[in-house]
This record gives sequence, structure tokens and C-alpha cells, in this order.
Amino acid sequence: MPNQTQQLTAVFSALADPTRRAVLARLSAGPCATSELSRRFPMALPSFTQHLGVLEASGLVTSRKVGRVRTYTLAPKKLQAAETWLAARRTEWASRLDQLDSYLTTLRKERS
Amino acid sequence: MNVPYVPDPSLDLVMERIVDVPPDLVWLAWTSPAHLRQWFCPRPWTTAECDVDLRPGGMFRTVLAGPAGERHEHLACYLEVVPGARLVWTTLLEPGFRPSPRQDTSGVPHFTAIITIEPHGAGTKYRAVAMHRSPDGRATHDTMGFHDGWGAAFAQLVELAPGWQAR
Repeated sequence: MPNQTQQLTAVFSALADPTRRAVLARLSAGPCATSELSRRFPMALPSFTQHLGVLEASGLVTSRKVGRVRTYTLAPKKLQAAETWLAARRTEWASRLDQLDSYLTTLRKERS
Repeated sequence: MNVPYVPDPSLDLVMERIVDVPPDLVWLAWTSPAHLRQWFCPRPWTTAECDVDLRPGGMFRTVLAGPAGERHEHLACYLEVVPGARLVWTTLLEPGFRPSPRQDTSGVPHFTAIITIEPHGAGTKYRAVAMHRSPDGRATHDTMGFHDGWGAAFAQLVELAPGWQAR
């Protein structure tokens, strides 16, 4: 189980960067080769490759090399773990605010 | 320096509501212990105790009581108090701005909440932002596998992702 926590932490650090989120967004449309991906981002190739490395280490994407072309693919399972975590927080806040809104309505009725 | 709020869709929740009550009543509901006790805790849990010292550095403490007799204390520190308009607190600090020694707040991951309140017609629009630290510790395990939801956070990511255009 501690291993699972470490994995989730890696997913969240990977998601914390806007370039990496943009790469994920692109990959959600389908697999993409390094050269095509890097064309979309105005930064030096080594920095961009580093971002891809972080994404792959987190498990959010996988890559396969065929000949000289490396292709990246989204691995939705890891993203789902992060989503599940936030969904639980969202449920809690939504129910809290629902209760506030109905309480406020009661208060207003009492005061009028 | 006033740092603008930049949402992180993988860690933040942003909720906006419009209610048909005046802003001063909404402010009161967020800041008076007697009112907070009525609604703050998601049911079936209830708010057994509530202490509010409404000033930056002041205490925001709740004790939540569970249906099986559990008692969870949540200790937080107010950071910003602008009456009728803006309330900010965090569980990462204890009252008096002392860094919290705890890994989480009774099983719930640490968070900072920003409540903004503004008039909206005859009613009020309020926004609640909960910013989380990336999850760690036991709390993560408790919630993993609890929900099959897939898509909401990802849709947000895609929507907010800068730097690329669909071809």
C-alpha cells in the first residue's frame, strides 16, 4: 500500500505542470510521436524530453520505440486514481454547500 | 504583493453558488459557530463543537461527530477576514500561524479554503475554493477505489490546458 501512495504522489507532481497537462490533453486525442509533440511546445527539445520522462515515470503515459520513432500513449488508469481522490473531496464539499443553501433558505424564512 | 489565484485542476475544487438570501446572512452562516453547527458537517456526521476567533491568525476549530460515536477534531487558522466579502482559512496552520504538526486533518487531506461573497441581484453569489496539497498518508487509501468516476477532472485538464490546438 505505501507504494500506491508514492505512485499517486508521482501522478500529482506530474499533473502540477501546465506543459505536462497540455501533453496529456494532446494525447487524449490519440498516440503521438515525440517529434510531432515537441513541435507544439516552444521550448528546447531536452527540456521537453524531460517533461515526457516525468510523465512516463508517473505512469500517466507509456511509450514505445519503433525504429527511430518513439510514440507516446495516454495510460488513463493512473489519471483515474487522481480523479477518484479529488472526486471524494468534491462529494464532501458539494454536500456541505447543499446543506448551507437549504439552511440559508430556512434562515431567510425565519427572518421574514 | 497580491498573488492572483491560479487554479490547479488536479488539486483544487472551485464551487460557485447563487442563493436567494442577502450577503450579510451568507457571511453570518460562514462565520458564526451557532450557524456553522447547523450545516457545516456533511451528514450523517454532525458538528459537535465549533470555535471561531474571527481574525487573521485566529482559531477555526470544529469537532465532528460520527454516527458510530467517532469524534474528529479539525483545527484551522484564519488567514484573511474581510467582513461580508472574503474569508480564507487553512488547516496547514494551527491558530497563531503555527505550522501544523499533523499529516492530515483527521483523515481529510490538508486544504486551504477561500470563500468569496458578493451581492447578486437581491441575493448572493458565493464561491468556495478548496486547494489541496497532493495527497499523502492514510487518507489517500481510504478514498481510493471508492468511486468509479472518470472524466470530470480530465475534462477540466483538457479544457484548461494551454499550448496546443486541436488540428
